[in-house]
Amino acid sequence: MADKPLESSTPSSRSARGAQPPSGGSAEWEWHDIETTERHASAEVRRTYDLDDGRRMKQLASAMLGGALLSLGLKSRSLGGLAVALAGGGLIYQGALGRTLARRVPGIEGFRSLRTLGRRRSVEAGAGTGRAVLERSITIQKPGHELYRAWRVAENLSKVMGHFAEVTTVGPDLQHWKVRGPLGRSFEWDSHIVEEHPGEFLRWESMPGAELPNEGQVRFRPAPADWGTVVTLRLRFSPPGGALGDAAMKLLGQVPTALAHTALRRFKSLVETGEIATTRPNPAAREGGYSY
Amino acid sequence: MRALCWNGINDLRVETVGDPGIVNPHDVVLKVTMSTTCGSDLHFIDGYIPTMRAGDVIGHEFMGEVVDVGRDVKKVKKGDRVVVPSFICCGSCWYCQHDLYSLCDNTNPKAELQEPVFGYPTAGIYGYTHAFGGYAGAHAQYVRVPHADTDCFQVPEGLRDEQVIFLSDAVPTGYMGADFCNIHPGDTVAVWGCGGVGLMAQKSAFLLGAQRVIGIDRFPERLKMAREQVGAETLNYEEVDSVLEVLKELTGGRGPDACIDAVGMEAHGTGVEYAYDRAKQALHLHSDRGDALRQAILACRKGGTLSILGVYGVMDKFPIGVILNKGLTVRTAQQHGQKYLPRLLEHVTKGELDPSFLATHRLPLEDAPRGYELFKKKQDGCVRAVFLPN
Repeated sequence: MADKPLESSTPSSRSARGAQPPSGGSAEWEWHDIETTERHASAEVRRTYDLDDGRRMKQLASAMLGGALLSLGLKSRSLGGLAVALAGGGLIYQGALGRTLARRVPGIEGFRSLRTLGRRRSVEAGAGTGRAVLERSITIQKPGHELYRAWRVAENLSKVMGHFAEVTTVGPDLQHWKVRGPLGRSFEWDSHIVEEHPGEFLRWESMPGAELPNEGQVRFRPAPADWGTVVTLRLRFSPPGGALGDAAMKLLGQVPTALAHTALRRFKSLVETGEIATTRPNPAAREGGYSY
Repeated sequence: MRALCWNGINDLRVETVGDPGIVNPHDVVLKVTMSTTCGSDLHFIDGYIPTMRAGDVIGHEFMGEVVDVGRDVKKVKKGDRVVVPSFICCGSCWYCQHDLYSLCDNTNPKAELQEPVFGYPTAGIYGYTHAFGGYAGAHAQYVRVPHADTDCFQVPEGLRDEQVIFLSDAVPTGYMGADFCNIHPGDTVAVWGCGGVGLMAQKSAFLLGAQRVIGIDRFPERLKMAREQVGAETLNYEEVDSVLEVLKELTGGRGPDACIDAVGMEAHGTGVEYAYDRAKQALHLHSDRGDALRQAILACRKGGTLSILGVYGVMDKFPIGVILNKGLTVRTAQQHGQKYLPRLLEHVTKGELDPSFLATHRLPLEDAPRGYELFKKKQDGCVRAVFLPN
């Protein structure tokens, strides 16, 4: 797991574009503090949002998950199946209504504003473009500094994202992403680390000119008692405006959700056990004797 | 290799499938020497649990010989003879470290299928639906076992397969159910169900110090086993007007100190409530028949313990108000086998526990569909059919 020695715990920020970080850390960095988070989110809620793109993406994600559950449930012809089908139907309903799972995520410990955050759509002044924000937390039975180091190992990130993206390291703080979307479409971009506080926080952004501009950040905070560390992953996708952006989000399908939900779970398994649970390949009487 | 596959509701066939291999570094591959039927398999065979796929290899209670070892496996060696609990557990997460193995965070690769129903995903199981991970099962010549150092338990010299096979699931499940009862000297424990798990719960209640154990069922041959193999008193619910009244009389009007439900969602019963449950289940309006569980709740003494081992889905008409007003303690879980295996192997080695009487039918793997038929319909006195895949 050791990539490089644990760096100084003094927050150090940097930007490949040369922009100086705000003194004392960025506003994003501050939202590791609960009270700050509350204020930060409330301020955003008071703004006017353009919901279109983000909402459509989440509707689509809800509807897709719902559809999968519904067909799964109906196939099984049973009451357990019915429950699954109902759950799926409910998600489709939510998708149709424009409600989303993200909005319904209950408050996660120490982060009372999450429901508000689920609704957040920040707007770049003058850009008129919606941004989709996804956030998900997981608790991992390891100290934060160890998790931080593991996250910084490029090989680990490739494994964790491996179910939907190829992540390769092309420079000291530069990664190349190739994400497989639905319909055979793929998106590629380079991202670079723009802020890091070893052991606690890391933020990256896609390089200017990316087809699908996006940014992400991961935070590591101590969990209560012997639970280890709460890891929170936050992603924003900012598709270019107008019809093009809309189409891009549709093409991206479940990718942002998978990235936030599944990637965290896979990261947890990798660092806790040294492997990621899989059934590939798995003996079965179909598909040539194996299933995947 | 040959393996028993689920191809649809009540459609089991032995088919040729691909051989398993090492996939992750902590895996081993076992040559299965013996596997057995489990009542919980009947729920998906009968179509009451979703997320099976045609062609899935089933079976989760097994033992075998290690034939291939992943590069990061430290304790388990090629040639070891081992028994494996049915839940796949990583040994590293918070749940495994707190002996709550079946709640393992890291072994369900299809957690997203289960999470909408349970809120949080549980551990994976061999051959038991895709919501529980979709792992290939063990009614096969070979099976892949992940996290071998946590999940494989060496079989001591001199024990026969029949003495050990049920330590994979029936024994630890029953033992855990009795352990939940916090048994004190003088306690009476009533156990609904005299199948493999129920009989082992009864035996375990004695091992943990119960003074009296009462087994409840309707099959004479199973009740006979409870009396003769376990030393329990028995009650045939079809032969009495009221199980509650009989249990009251047997316990001086107090009721059993602890009640264990070892029946589950396809319970049989008598009377109006059973007819209601059966009709709803047949129409797929709900997945559970809860006769045994309701009876256990009613019969348990005030302030007693209700230990639920039977596998249920999402039951309605659950008398929570009775539990509340009687101040019952409810304990329940899928088996945390890895917690109990060391002490259970010791009991078997010392001769204090011999579950081999459960193996009423020995069959080659090719006859496994018939084995399940005998088991499901309780034909020919079948309590458990064991299969010999190699």
